[in-house]
Amino acid sequence: MLLLIAPAALLMALFQVVPIVMGANASFRDWALNNPKKTWVGLSHYIDVITDPAFLQVVLPNTFLFMAVSVCGALAIGLCLALVLNRGFRGQKLVQTILLLPLMVAPVIAAIMMRWMFNDQFGIVNVVLEAVGIEGQPWMAQRWSAFAVILLTDIWLWTPWFMLLLLAGLQSLPREPFEAAAIDGTTAWRVFRYLTLPMLRPVIVVCVVIRSIDAFRTFDIVWTLTGGGPARSTELFSLYAYVHAFLNLDFGKGSAAAIIGAVIILVVGLLLYRLTDRVMKG
Amino acid sequence: MGMVQQPMFSEVAPAARRAFFVLAVFAVCLLFMFPVLWLILTSLRPVSGVYYVHRGLEFTLGNFAEVLGDERIVHAFVNSGLIATLATVLSLMVTVSSGYMLSRFRGPIARTWFGTIYVFRCVPYISWVLPLYFVTQSWGIYDTYLGLLLPHIAVHICFFSWLMKGFFDGIDPSMEYAALIDGCTRWGAFLRVALPSAIPAISALAVLCWLFTWNEFLFALILTGQKTPVITVVMAQFVSEMGLQWNLMSATAVMALVPAFVLTLFGQKYVVRGLKI
Repeated sequence: MLLLIAPAALLMALFQVVPIVMGANASFRDWALNNPKKTWVGLSHYIDVITDPAFLQVVLPNTFLFMAVSVCGALAIGLCLALVLNRGFRGQKLVQTILLLPLMVAPVIAAIMMRWMFNDQFGIVNVVLEAVGIEGQPWMAQRWSAFAVILLTDIWLWTPWFMLLLLAGLQSLPREPFEAAAIDGTTAWRVFRYLTLPMLRPVIVVCVVIRSIDAFRTFDIVWTLTGGGPARSTELFSLYAYVHAFLNLDFGKGSAAAIIGAVIILVVGLLLYRLTDRVMKG
Repeated sequence: MGMVQQPMFSEVAPAARRAFFVLAVFAVCLLFMFPVLWLILTSLRPVSGVYYVHRGLEFTLGNFAEVLGDERIVHAFVNSGLIATLATVLSLMVTVSSGYMLSRFRGPIARTWFGTIYVFRCVPYISWVLPLYFVTQSWGIYDTYLGLLLPHIAVHICFFSWLMKGFFDGIDPSMEYAALIDGCTRWGAFLRVALPSAIPAISALAVLCWLFTWNEFLFALILTGQKTPVITVVMAQFVSEMGLQWNLMSATAVMALVPAFVLTLFGQKYVVRGLKI
């Protein structure tokens, strides 16, 4: 029995456990390129990170805002599309294939496309806006518009994932309650509110929890779209750790930030599971 | 596109509602496709027309030729393809047995293993990829195939073992018991009886795994340098270094999309079926 998991366990030990232990070790040391001795500094990197105004007032709020809006947005749109596809209509297969398109696009490519479309001088978005008489915006040069583009990209990328899983969930629901509701002449909204939604609950909870944990660690689209700019105002937690470790070459502080993030997401993941489950029940 | 075959309500939906529905579906499809269509259109524009993609009708394949003439980009495509293929084969080999174990065995070891992969699934990539940079350097595999391939397999273990468990849970174990009674070993029962029934699900996972690895960015950014460029990192560098050459940029991105499209088009049946489990 152990032989069955031996290769997987060995790989995980070497490439996940060893690095995590090493990162934890580095987070207590002055691990900068100019200090070959790697002096033990205790908790000072942790204190640095949690008292850093950039971390508290920009990075953490950004990360949680990103998580909330992108997951809720993709869930809402994904659910609508799944409900429509579940009705079945001519050409449904083709529509489904088209809607799954973003699922195969690399996040980096999605970010490149959006960056081009929202380019302040030549982007199609500004061209269209100016054609209808609205002034074009320097999207990537302002904090909130840049953040909105990041959110839009993420929702575009992940809506199909929600759609696919929710559609599968819808198709596995029993037919009888819906037939009974149809005979009783129940309105579509009441069917959705009192039948579909409660029965779909387990699928929604799982989707939201998995996707939230992944959204928390988002790196690639932000890195390619804004690089955390303008002036580090759209940085998320993963970028913060990366910037400190590889651009400021302060590996100790970067590791401390990465570990703080890991602890936060473990706690948030647990709370989120409870919360989503309760909200869906209530 | 389609028309409503069955009206939503018991009374016949009026034609206006039907037209609205068709229009809405059409609009949503267009919205979902637009970024990709725009990218393709940009990649076909000559340098003179690239800044005004919406004006003029000159098109060229020259961008693709120019990109393919760049040795570094071709190298990156080959690397990405090789790493994605190898990572797929190896990840599946490693996780199929781990998922089988999770599905068929009970007891403290199985419970501990399940708990372990569950917790590691939640750890943000950055927390172990940052130090992995130093680990791969001290083992001498930084910026090599091995140094990127092994972490990729490791990251897939948690999620895939979990999915594989689901696949095997859906397969009735009584056939395996019958094989065991007939004198088959546990390994024989796994390889000859359980594994063949799980093939459709495993194919779905293969498609997903290939896509994940081909599209992956953060690992490649941290664990590779000049020697082993991969396509996602090369493209991201493109944006910062050659920010103004949108025609070449788009051509590279379109070429990076093609393998993923082809794979998904042929594998969609499996992916949709696999994700439903």
